[in-house]
Amino acid sequence: MKQLFTIIQYEFRHFSRSPFKMVSLILFIGAAVYGLQNGYTLLKRQNTEIETIQAKNKETIAEVTGWYDAGKKGPDDKPWIDVTTPMRAIWYAPASVLKAPSSMMPFSIGQAEQFGYYKQVTNSSSTFDADLAEEIANPERLAIGTLDFSFVILYLLPVLAIILLFNIAGLERDLGFDQLIRVNHPSIRKWLFSRFAFYFLLLSGTLLILMLVYAVRTNVLPGTFILLYLLIVLYTLLWFVAFYFINHKGKGSANQAIKMVSLWLLFCVVIPGGIHQLASLKYPGNYMTDYLDASRDETYKLYDLSVDTVKQRLLAAYPDLARTQHAKDTAIDESIIGNSSSGLTNKLMKAAALTIENTNEDKNRFIRNTCWFNPVSWFQNRMNALCGTDYYAYRRYRADIQAVIDKKVELLLHDSWNKETVDKKRFMEYVSAFKNGK
Amino acid sequence: MKQIILNEWRMLLRVRVLAYLTLFFIVGLALVTYLGIVQNNQQLEQQQVAKEHIRKQWENLDAMNPHSAAHYGSYAFKPTTALSSIDEGINTITGNVLRLEGHVQNEIVYSEASQSLSVSKFGKLKPSLLLQYVIPLFLIFLAFASVSSEKETGRLKLLVFQGTSLSKLIFAKALSVWFYGLLLLIVSVGIQVFLNVKGTDADGLTRTALLLLAYALYYYIVALLATWFSARLKSNAASLSTMLAVWILWTIFLPKIWGNTTDKLHPLPSRQEFKIAMQEDRSKGLDGHNPSDKRSEAFKQKILAKYKVNKVEDLPINYDGLRMQADEEYGDDVWDKHFGNSYDILQKQKQVYQLSGIFNPFASLQSVSMGFSGSDMYHHLDFLRQAENYRRDLIRTLNEKQAYGGSKTGERWKEGNDFFKSVKDFKYSTPTVRRASTHYGTDVLLLALWALATTLLVWLTAKKIKLI
Repeated sequence: MKQLFTIIQYEFRHFSRSPFKMVSLILFIGAAVYGLQNGYTLLKRQNTEIETIQAKNKETIAEVTGWYDAGKKGPDDKPWIDVTTPMRAIWYAPASVLKAPSSMMPFSIGQAEQFGYYKQVTNSSSTFDADLAEEIANPERLAIGTLDFSFVILYLLPVLAIILLFNIAGLERDLGFDQLIRVNHPSIRKWLFSRFAFYFLLLSGTLLILMLVYAVRTNVLPGTFILLYLLIVLYTLLWFVAFYFINHKGKGSANQAIKMVSLWLLFCVVIPGGIHQLASLKYPGNYMTDYLDASRDETYKLYDLSVDTVKQRLLAAYPDLARTQHAKDTAIDESIIGNSSSGLTNKLMKAAALTIENTNEDKNRFIRNTCWFNPVSWFQNRMNALCGTDYYAYRRYRADIQAVIDKKVELLLHDSWNKETVDKKRFMEYVSAFKNGK
Repeated sequence: MKQIILNEWRMLLRVRVLAYLTLFFIVGLALVTYLGIVQNNQQLEQQQVAKEHIRKQWENLDAMNPHSAAHYGSYAFKPTTALSSIDEGINTITGNVLRLEGHVQNEIVYSEASQSLSVSKFGKLKPSLLLQYVIPLFLIFLAFASVSSEKETGRLKLLVFQGTSLSKLIFAKALSVWFYGLLLLIVSVGIQVFLNVKGTDADGLTRTALLLLAYALYYYIVALLATWFSARLKSNAASLSTMLAVWILWTIFLPKIWGNTTDKLHPLPSRQEFKIAMQEDRSKGLDGHNPSDKRSEAFKQKILAKYKVNKVEDLPINYDGLRMQADEEYGDDVWDKHFGNSYDILQKQKQVYQLSGIFNPFASLQSVSMGFSGSDMYHHLDFLRQAENYRRDLIRTLNEKQAYGGSKTGERWKEGNDFFKSVKDFKYSTPTVRRASTHYGTDVLLLALWALATTLLVWLTAKKIKLI
């Protein structure tokens, strides 16, 4: 044990006298802070945007409740609007479905910049509407990639490890005194292990300090944060183990550096790139024609149907409507049926969206099945998942949107068919029902 | 110099590992290029099927009111260029479907990146990935010991004493490594041209030649710099670690740092801010003093005066068609202002990014690689512009049919199928390389300057290099 500490002590001296290694570590810390700050800025920006939307919604609610209080049916300059009807009241009840960013976002921006995170839902919305596009951003910057903390961990940390480790046992071989080491240290493995341990502890400790600063800033301690840190430690350990074997069997610094860099290139660039290419070949980029058909052609075909047919289809799709007042009426109210057609389009869109989600899931399954030889992508998606910025976080968000659409449609159909007159209390019930569908 | 290059090649050919690696690279590049072409063709086929499907729906429209048809709208599918199989650029990040309809200008959506879990941060295994990341690294591996090993064995001193100039030696060794890079480059580009011979026109060939030139310049810079470090530094390990540090800085570190910095120097508005600003301009007027109701009234008076009547009902045409077209044109101005502003910011960001080529030739290479492959931001914005122009033509045609088509009133009036069939489909034409290349002048110039600077560096400092 004493020997281990002595070796670690010597390694510290070696490290502190190597400007190349010191500068590399400082640059790495700089990149990590930059990445953390990028994530933190995005978190703050998204929260600010969400607060703006919520404030605007509050204004709308105050405006509409003001109409109810004043006995008005809508804005003075739009006399055709009547908020006592379910159709208009539901239209005015704000239904912003928001994906509040996880406080863990500073640790991985992940796919957050590829998806929208707020949507104003109407009863004819769907989960793949064009207004759910991602934030306005420079596409070249996105293609090059954002320097976030997960990038620093997944790609730069192994690079830093190469810089710190490539000449361990290599320098001794270069200078020809590796035999001397064998004389002084009965176990060359322990000697190598101790030197590696110093850098492992150095990196793990540095990362913990950096991460703690941002964990305190975003108040994410302990929970998921610990899981994320352990994941990072495991990732670091795997690289260290691989490099340990390279150095153990190495033939000199240059030889070791070449092997290490090749390993990095293979696991960080070539294999993920190859999987990406194969996934694209097996599941080419989707033009979503099924969805386009549902949102346009199929929807327009519904408009051409007779009122009676639409009514029958609505009753078939929503059997509960049979108990409503309008279902029992012998005469058909065209405006009620017209306003209810979104009930049918919603069914169409849901079916089309499900097809897309299933295709995407097939692609994801393919990606997941390759993880045993593509560990970097696995770690990447695990980090994203812990930080709420992976594909599935946004799929859950789409499910939330669909829940609100369903709620809107359900209330519209139920209240229109029951010929309800909406008052302030009912309006506020709508508002409450549309808060992320809960 | 020729003799040194030949000797270097003879020595390289003697290394069995290198022969295997060369074979591996050639087969790998051939396979990757082939798969890139297959994937590209597959994507193009999908795009064509989607395009035909949507067009068929439009041509099969039953009699419909032209304004309803404007709401029915159309779709523009972003095509990929033949050279996207080499460098896909931003194609997986940007959406590929744009809905074109009346009243609104939609966003392009359904990017490939949003359709699955994250896979690779460096893009797909396309030739560009190998040509930009793997081959330069391999050239570094070939060059890092080229002079330093001669130094370590004492041969360098011997060579210089025999009359070889050190600068010539460095150039010769660098060129022999560079030729190796060129060989791999030509294999990749050759396969691309050979397998894509049907889809390659003069423009495509020019683009390919320019790509070849840009990569050749970059490889020259990398090979020469690595050889120079090899001569300048004391040991193999020092030259390798220094060149690796340069490679990491250039390819991994700086592009991302600088990319984020450009975003901070010229920030884009958030989508929410953008939407609100557009809505306000549309309702309150571009100058803030011309609200929509006043504009509407003024337009009505203008039309009544033009037809010399007092009431809309007395007009010989359908007033709604004209009103909607006027509103559409106002919306176009609002769009031009706001999207124009965003495009300006994006272009400024791009220009700042291109300037990073001053200290990072890899940034210039990346930019021209995407640019000449037709998969960069300029080509993307060009697609959006052409699609928007088509949308305007389409909606104008429909509104004019509504106005002058025969019905003075009536939203229920319908136009027959022949009219819809007669409306032209959207056809995107990729800008010619001549038109597009104006954007890449900075990149090519900076790459050339880097090549010149590294040449001068070797030329001017060779004499000062220690032989031991």
